[in-house]
Amino acid sequence: MATLKEKRTCGQRCEDFGRFVWNSENGTFMGRTPLRWVYISLYYVAFYVVMTGLFSLAIYVLMYTIDPYVPMYQDRLKSPGVMVWPDTYSDEQVQITYNMSNKQSWGKMSQCLTTFLKPYNDTTQKQINPCNCTTGKYFIQNTYNAPNHTKYACPFLQSMLGNCSGISDPSFGYSGSQPCVIIKMNRIINFLPNNGTGLAPYVNCTVLEGQENVRSMEYYPTNGTFDLSYYPYYGRKAQPTYYNPLVAVKIDLVNQRTAKMHCRVMANNIAYESIHEPYTGRVVFYIQALS
Amino acid sequence: MSKENSYDMFVEMDKMDGEMDVKIKKKKKMKKKEKLESMKREMDIDDHELSIEDLEMKYSTSITKGLSSTLAQQILERDGPNELKPPKGTPEYVKFARQLAGGLQCLMWVAATICFIAFGILCAKGELSSYDDLYLAITLIAVVVVTGCFGYYQEFKSTNIIASFKNLVPQQALVIRDGQKNQINANMLVVGDLVEIKGGDRVPADIRIITAQGCKVDNSSLTGESEPQTRSPECTHENPLETRNIAFFSTTCLEGVATGVIINTGDRTIIGRIASLASGVGNEKTPIAIEIEHFVDIIAGLAIFFGFSFFVVAMFIGYAFLEAMIFFMAIVVAYVPEGLLATVTVCLSLTAKRLASKNCVVKNLEAVETLGSTSVICSDKTGTLTQNRMTVAHLWFDNMIHAADTTEDQSGQSFDQSSETWRALARVASLCNRAIFKPNQESVPIPKRMVVGDASETALLKFTELTIGNIMDYRARFKKVCEVPFNSTNKFQLSIHELEDPLDLRYLLVMKGAPERILERCSTILIKGQELPLDEQWREAFQTAYMDLGGLGERVLGFCHIYLNDKEFPRGFNFDADEMNFPTSGLCFAGLISMIDPPRATVPDAVMKCRTAGIRVVMVTGDHPITAKAIAANVGIISEGSETVEDIANRLRIPVEQVRKSDARACVINGGQLKDMSSDELDDALRTHPEMVFARTSPQQKLIIVESCQRLGSIVAVTGDGVNDSPALKKADIGVAMGIAGSDAAKNAADMILLDDNFASIVTGVEQGRLIFDNLKKSIAYTLTKNIPELTPYLIYITVSVPLPLGCITILFIELATDIFPSVSLAYEKAESDIMHLKPRNPRRDRLVNEALAVYSYFQIGAIQSFAGFTDYFTAMAQEGWFPLLCVGLRSQWENVELQDLQDSYGQEWTFNQRLYQEYTCYTVFFVSIEVCQISDVLIRKTRRLSLFQQGFFRNRVLLSAIVFQLCLGNLLCYCPGMPNIFNFMPIRVQWWFVPLPYGILIFVYDEIRKLGVRRHPGSWWDQELYY
Repeated sequence: MATLKEKRTCGQRCEDFGRFVWNSENGTFMGRTPLRWVYISLYYVAFYVVMTGLFSLAIYVLMYTIDPYVPMYQDRLKSPGVMVWPDTYSDEQVQITYNMSNKQSWGKMSQCLTTFLKPYNDTTQKQINPCNCTTGKYFIQNTYNAPNHTKYACPFLQSMLGNCSGISDPSFGYSGSQPCVIIKMNRIINFLPNNGTGLAPYVNCTVLEGQENVRSMEYYPTNGTFDLSYYPYYGRKAQPTYYNPLVAVKIDLVNQRTAKMHCRVMANNIAYESIHEPYTGRVVFYIQALS
Repeated sequence: MSKENSYDMFVEMDKMDGEMDVKIKKKKKMKKKEKLESMKREMDIDDHELSIEDLEMKYSTSITKGLSSTLAQQILERDGPNELKPPKGTPEYVKFARQLAGGLQCLMWVAATICFIAFGILCAKGELSSYDDLYLAITLIAVVVVTGCFGYYQEFKSTNIIASFKNLVPQQALVIRDGQKNQINANMLVVGDLVEIKGGDRVPADIRIITAQGCKVDNSSLTGESEPQTRSPECTHENPLETRNIAFFSTTCLEGVATGVIINTGDRTIIGRIASLASGVGNEKTPIAIEIEHFVDIIAGLAIFFGFSFFVVAMFIGYAFLEAMIFFMAIVVAYVPEGLLATVTVCLSLTAKRLASKNCVVKNLEAVETLGSTSVICSDKTGTLTQNRMTVAHLWFDNMIHAADTTEDQSGQSFDQSSETWRALARVASLCNRAIFKPNQESVPIPKRMVVGDASETALLKFTELTIGNIMDYRARFKKVCEVPFNSTNKFQLSIHELEDPLDLRYLLVMKGAPERILERCSTILIKGQELPLDEQWREAFQTAYMDLGGLGERVLGFCHIYLNDKEFPRGFNFDADEMNFPTSGLCFAGLISMIDPPRATVPDAVMKCRTAGIRVVMVTGDHPITAKAIAANVGIISEGSETVEDIANRLRIPVEQVRKSDARACVINGGQLKDMSSDELDDALRTHPEMVFARTSPQQKLIIVESCQRLGSIVAVTGDGVNDSPALKKADIGVAMGIAGSDAAKNAADMILLDDNFASIVTGVEQGRLIFDNLKKSIAYTLTKNIPELTPYLIYITVSVPLPLGCITILFIELATDIFPSVSLAYEKAESDIMHLKPRNPRRDRLVNEALAVYSYFQIGAIQSFAGFTDYFTAMAQEGWFPLLCVGLRSQWENVELQDLQDSYGQEWTFNQRLYQEYTCYTVFFVSIEVCQISDVLIRKTRRLSLFQQGFFRNRVLLSAIVFQLCLGNLLCYCPGMPNIFNFMPIRVQWWFVPLPYGILIFVYDEIRKLGVRRHPGSWWDQELYY
């Protein structure tokens, strides 16, 4: 053992390493002769080719068993998420802060909404979704009646948002103290929001902090409902032209013009209480208009 | 004690033996000053040459009154108590710190530091998204500390067991101070004290003898040789170790009485110096520690290689330098097998526990493996191989050699006791004997009883007690009327007894002594109860028997008797022991009895087993060459048919010089010859002769022999019991001391202690050591494999930007929770082949972790496991709505906290938290895949060569329960409520448990094919590349 424990000098170590890299006695390079390097490399190439083949086969079988229209499981999507626009974040919270007197500042907000509403342009919508939907009823389609083996989707027109549509007021109220925010509920395949009474789900906003700063709120469309005809969603492949219905809220800010808002989509089967999922069934945001 | 000092000691001790080693000479030159110092110290021991008056002067004492109490008190304060200072025990915190500083521990410290750095960088950048790095660092440190505590506790326990064996009864000594005899504790003695010793006492310090009557000492604790030596006031030799007028500390006075002046106490005694020589010898690293370091080298090399290549890849892809640096660190850390340290520690302590149940206590956990690697055992003879108890071995009467039973428990065969001659011989042996049993030992088996008397008389007493029974009564029936004790001029001992039969008025004279002297005094010989004239023919027969017995290394005594004529010597005759007014010649020869310190019953078998296991057993003893050789032949150290150079010379009748040395398998070298040999010659001798016996060696020479073996590349175990063995015990890779017979010095120096003094326990140690080496290999292979499926998710995450498939906390759960028990359970695996028929491993070639093991585990089994994990990962993702192709490049969006409506492949929109739970689902699915594959892995690791069907699936029950445990724990983690938000485990769908199953079966089948190839084609390319 003594020889193994000897403290070797750096030179000896280097020499040993050199001999390991190229040993002229046995003709070995890094512990193997070139021929054996070829063999072992071939072995590993073969091994990985086979393994990759098996893996590809597994993925192929997986994709083969998957339905392209409906996901197999929706374990994480029991309840839809809700989000507010303009979606400006600060410290991981939605904070809509703008300066009424600074056009650049509020322009950013209105620009965000303009971009967001672009696909909802009335003409575009009517063109891609030429469908007359009966309001107040689920639009259930069991067959693919639309062209190209798809299903129809109900159009949602920008103009339905009334004062918040940006048609009459392209600033969406951001030039003053009555800003609009738009609430969108995430879409989930075959999800039927249900109020029990056959009524449509609607958005209900409350002021959590700064009640005295909010004079009133107006919802567009009326009552802030998501019409039932937009449900169920059948998926991208079945409804390539589907656009989520929206609800706009016009908030009339007074006094300090700042508030913490809580907007919830009211429906029996939409959860909103989990502290671990802050954007499920509700959205909390701060709104502040500076002057 | 400093290192310099210990060398100094070495030099000094060497000089005492008159040795000159070249190496030491060099040392001397370097330290001339110290040499002078040591010379001076040696000059101290000239007390044997001083006259009594000078001695009195020197120690200001008186040989009649002793020291005065006040002076004694002063000297005691100056010199300290008369006891061997226990070697400076390592402070407890150092012992604990040592537990935290092994090879693997260092790796984990480094990893923890890297984690802290990475955490710091992220903090400084303000990009702290998770505390994973911090958790990881804390976990790493916690693992090191907890395992450290565990290891410390294990060693603490075994230290306690050893400590309980220490002799706690304080020794007493009879000292004369102020002219009065006092019984005081021996540790209160000081230089100059006048002490009295008598038979049975332990000599309390180094003593210059002033007066002595028939005093004999047993120097075995010093020299290892239990031959009684006479002690008398005359100076007989200039060497203090050889002269008769000094008795040494811790030797035993066998008989007689003596008074003497103490010349050295405590650590300054000869024994103290030898003991401190041991503490100067450096401790060697254990082979397993070396293996683990080698393994850490491999791991560290691979980690840095991988980290660096992916650093380059990351830079190439376009990550920022700092980000790439974080990746580099994460990869390096991911390579650290967190669970391995715990596994190794637990495996080793399991073996330690198993050994402890077989009476081997291991002081240092790592030493449990060392015996398995051992290739040479240097064994002391007396007390280790032999019983350290003179026992009657052979008798010669009726012209026949009879063998007596020498086994410890009297389980052997006895000889024919029907002859008349035997009765006469037994009568002489029991009557002409002054030894007596100490009282109150009726319940103790005869061979174990304590006796007052010298070794041969003790042997005879026990022998006759066993064969005749109740010798004390027997002696009482033959009333002793006169006695002449043994002395060196007569070389005989005689006594005269009345006969048992009250009507027979003759006296019986019995005599024993050196056989040739006894024979001279005889004129008749007793054969089959008949007195026959002692003619040439009988003399020759006697001579042959005497030579035969002597050649066996036995001590032979002759016995004779005569009935004295009742006319010449009527009742009441006044026998005079000094005048010898009775016949001492013309006696009747009864027979010879020979004695030996017989080998322990289990030793020959154990030596045989060691030899089949490829371990060389070398005898190193302080005893005489002939005895040593005889015992060596008896226990199989010199095998049947092996000859020494001298034997060959004798047989061929040629001079010793003409014998080719390589022809002789065996070789006996005594201390004198060894002194003249250079270290090269010694190496050469050890190389040429496989069977070696070293006789009459000094403690230093034992050390030199061990060093020489180590130079030849062997891993050396030393077994011994005496103080004289302690330096060699310390120097050896593993020192094995005897628990009962062993001295404290030997136990302190040893790494392992045999509580039952059974040499055969060493074989158990070897077997367990080899088994644990094999099983550790399996455990490590098992543990390493999962490193790859833990690492690849991260690599794919970096390079292909998929959502992270496996999280840091989940990895920690695999490493430290689910997989610990299975990897430990491999320690319970039975050996694949008869490990005791294999050669000891070659420390240069047979590494614990070799290239083949690492490569096979990492790049084949680990790779299959990774594929299994990814299959399951993509399955879980696709079935929840995220197709594989969408996943690629998804990372930045997926991880965007501000994106609440990310669309999956079906157009559904996901909030960040929904995605996060999906990611946890992936973690869990990947975790489950690794678990399922690891079950397959633990099964294949049961064997390295044999098919699992040959080894048996169900023989290792612990392993089976470990698998059940693993599954239960996995299920608990998955399905216990609350887990998602605490440990990031999601209740996954049951079918995802079965996705990796085909890969598990593939692993099993692939490994069976590998093993088949290895078995079918040993030495082939396949064997070389794929056998680990």
